[in-house]
Amino acid sequence: MTPLQDATPKPPRYPADLEASMILPKQRASPASSLASLPYRRSNPSLHKLFESTTSLSGSRPSSGSATPTASVVPSSTFSPGSRLNGAGTPGSLPPGVSDEHRLLIQRAFAPHVVVLADTETEELMRRKGLEGGLLQLLRPFGESVPGKVTIRDSVGAGKSCDDFGVRFVGINEGLGLPPRNPNLRVNTTNGQSEGARTSSSAVPPRRIGGDVAQIEELVDRHLQYSEFNTEGMVSDYLSQSEPVPAEATSSPFYTLYLRRLLSGLPLVPHETFAHPVAGVIAISSRNPNPIEELRRLYKRQHDGDLRLPQWVENDFLRYYLLIHDEDTGDIAKSNQTFDAMKRHFGLHCHLLRLKSQQCIPSDDDSVRLPTCEWMSAGEELAEIQKRETADDITDPTPYIPDSDITAIKTFVRELVAQSIVPNMERAIATWNEQVLARRRGISGRFMSLSKRWTPFGSSRNSSSPTLSSNSNYDSLQGFYRPDAPEALMRKLADYCFMLRDWKLALSTYDILRTDFQNDKAWRHYAGAAEMAALSALMSTTPLSSKTRTENIDAWIEAASYSYTDRQRSAAPYYALRTLALGLELLRLRGSGAADDAARWASRILETGLVGAVGTALFTERISACYAVRTGVGAFKLGSRRRKAALWAVLAAENWWRLDKALQAEKCLDAATRLYGIHGQETQTGGPVKLPFPQMQAYIDELRQQILGLRLTNRGLLLDEDGEGGAEVAQSLMVEEATETLDKSPRGHRKSLIGMVAPPPIDVGPLSPRLERGPEADRRDDQFEGA
Amino acid sequence: MSYFFTIFSPTDTPLFTHEFGTSRSGGDGIARFTASERSLAPFILHSSLDIVEELQFGPSSTSGSAPMYLKHIDKYANNFVSCWITGANVRFLLLTRPRDEALGLAGGGGAGARGSLAGGRVTGSGLYDPRSPATEEAVKNFFVDVYEAWLKTVMNPFFHAGNGDVVKSPVFRQRVAAAAKKYL
Repeated sequence: MTPLQDATPKPPRYPADLEASMILPKQRASPASSLASLPYRRSNPSLHKLFESTTSLSGSRPSSGSATPTASVVPSSTFSPGSRLNGAGTPGSLPPGVSDEHRLLIQRAFAPHVVVLADTETEELMRRKGLEGGLLQLLRPFGESVPGKVTIRDSVGAGKSCDDFGVRFVGINEGLGLPPRNPNLRVNTTNGQSEGARTSSSAVPPRRIGGDVAQIEELVDRHLQYSEFNTEGMVSDYLSQSEPVPAEATSSPFYTLYLRRLLSGLPLVPHETFAHPVAGVIAISSRNPNPIEELRRLYKRQHDGDLRLPQWVENDFLRYYLLIHDEDTGDIAKSNQTFDAMKRHFGLHCHLLRLKSQQCIPSDDDSVRLPTCEWMSAGEELAEIQKRETADDITDPTPYIPDSDITAIKTFVRELVAQSIVPNMERAIATWNEQVLARRRGISGRFMSLSKRWTPFGSSRNSSSPTLSSNSNYDSLQGFYRPDAPEALMRKLADYCFMLRDWKLALSTYDILRTDFQNDKAWRHYAGAAEMAALSALMSTTPLSSKTRTENIDAWIEAASYSYTDRQRSAAPYYALRTLALGLELLRLRGSGAADDAARWASRILETGLVGAVGTALFTERISACYAVRTGVGAFKLGSRRRKAALWAVLAAENWWRLDKALQAEKCLDAATRLYGIHGQETQTGGPVKLPFPQMQAYIDELRQQILGLRLTNRGLLLDEDGEGGAEVAQSLMVEEATETLDKSPRGHRKSLIGMVAPPPIDVGPLSPRLERGPEADRRDDQFEGA
Repeated sequence: MSYFFTIFSPTDTPLFTHEFGTSRSGGDGIARFTASERSLAPFILHSSLDIVEELQFGPSSTSGSAPMYLKHIDKYANNFVSCWITGANVRFLLLTRPRDEALGLAGGGGAGARGSLAGGRVTGSGLYDPRSPATEEAVKNFFVDVYEAWLKTVMNPFFHAGNGDVVKSPVFRQRVAAAAKKYL
């Protein structure tokens, strides 16, 4: 049916670096050549789904139906379900207040990590189900949000239930850097784990570890391009421009995506333990002949064998034993027997998971699409996009699994989290709080830390660290604390508190750690503690009343961002960016007083050059949003930052325009004019309201013109190109199959992605009737609109 | 150093705009803005009005007295803004763009140093500091002279500058230029 099914299989090449991809849209081929390959591209529904599923989180996740519990978790009010850009566009009408969205995002981002290890039989079973990634791929989407409420007791014993708790299932070898780095992806100068050499190079080809700013930028740019060229109703939008647009939304979905990817796939590093496993799932199949021995073997491999984590990772985390029963071929009586044996040997942390082993296809009765991971790293999502773009198959490559499997997995995840992981973490917190923190906090602990600092022989605490250079526990040569050192335990305690949302204890612990790390001159650790201290202080819902408190937090953020970047040549700009970005988001939520600070941190991001081109535009936009939060008091709006917000909105519009993102530029410019109060109003004499400053008015007018021109260019409406394009279209009508061969440019295929002409006003499925009509119709359309 | 001087009426309308360079240390008094800086300057000054208003009406930090000279109030990238408020709530805003060397961005090399992801903030002596007493004093003297000329202009009964008309008087422009040459 699709005439271009047999188009050249040459995959589009992807620019390795951002700059190259920025300028792509300018060097397009004639519209005809891009037109030729356009329907093929656009009719790839799986690709569309990928973009949609990431940018509209709460929108309709395709065909997952009731299987995605996350839909209700993300505050759905922040995105209008029917946004105009295929779900990738502007969030719709939001009351011009502040939404909690990013706080929830941060809260969900720091989740306990669970290592998944399965035996070969299980992996084979999964492969037969069509899951190339094995058990991990099956479990991962379901761990991101645990169904139902999870009750957490904090350090004082007060219970608190949260319904958006999640865990991250990760592979055992992900932090280890077993395979070499994928050379296609840009070397992450940003990861900067100079000391932990084993971790810095990280993963299997779809890189699961995040922390690479360049990749995040590339990914967001990809999403932006998609929205830029796949918007429906671009024309109608332009025509209705004079109508009042819904009040300025707090954030663009692309910024949310940026933050989410920034927080996805936290790297395994010594100076913070968020990515250190809290628990490990060891899975075997029921078909394994001697299951108990296999479980022991896997445990040994993980504990001290070849799969052992680096030595700065605590190795005695909770192990959870999982028996996977094959519903189709296995014998349930035998599995039950095995399961009982497992329970006898390993205690209560066991589960029997019953899965079907047959492959499921979409047309099956109760098949459900495997949900997309929300928290995949940027590199992983990029790889996924590329895979789907180059795939010839128009069907969705996402595996489908039976409904019964989903129920079983959900039950398993819930049990794992609610009965094993959370209680275990609570217990660990209580123990450490009593044994480590209380001792450190007490008078003797203070004295000891003093004596450690000032006397040459007061080293009563360093017995756990044999390789010490001074009398501290910090191994300054390799840059870590041993996992059983009090500092490491306290850091773990604080991180556990943070993950369980006990902000108060986390804050006090981080604060103690900060001074300890500073005394030890463990700068990376110090920065980490300062960062998390600031974040946990801001995350707590108690009002930060006094000015001094704010100054405190400012000092922490400052110290963290400074120590992450400037000290000791061991720069970790990723972490600095994380500190500043999260700090600014949380400060912004603190209302008008802190909005200035938020904007200041955002401009710090820009000044220190922590982000690339896309990030610059996004954060410029964000500064505008920060200032816009400050509305001022009284009738005269004293203390408002309206004009500042407008300035930054104009700057953002210009940035977007430079990046050839007409839609975003337009949006920012509209926001700016609204802030200046000249949007869509008319003076009494009838003309539009002008800015008082003629130079400013001229600048804005010119910018608008340029954006309009860019938008037309993006749609392939340049007149001179029209002329030669017409001839080619005529030819292509004659020999429809030969369209691709006319495409002389070597870059034709790549351009086709970007230099698309206007898409049809409806979201066509794979087989659009437009294809039968032929490109002539499109051509006529274009000339009509161009005229 | 390049300067961009604007007088804003109480309703945020620019009444007078003047652009000049430094005449000190061998300067020729010609502004050296790049095209983008020049087009952004009005935006920056306009946005600084937010800060002006906050300082003006916010809690007093000067123990009761209300000085007309607010000193350095705002900064955008490499542009520093100083302010003077007259009794009639007319705002004089002076945007200062120091030379790159004065900011520690050595010409050309600065971009490379800044572009490194590690970030790098240069601190040291000899850099432009908007809060140094000498700078504040020079800007103050400039503002005082302009204020004097401004008073004489707005008191002219044939002229409606006080009512929001743009100042076109060549004499006034001359006086501003003279003050600029003398102090900045």
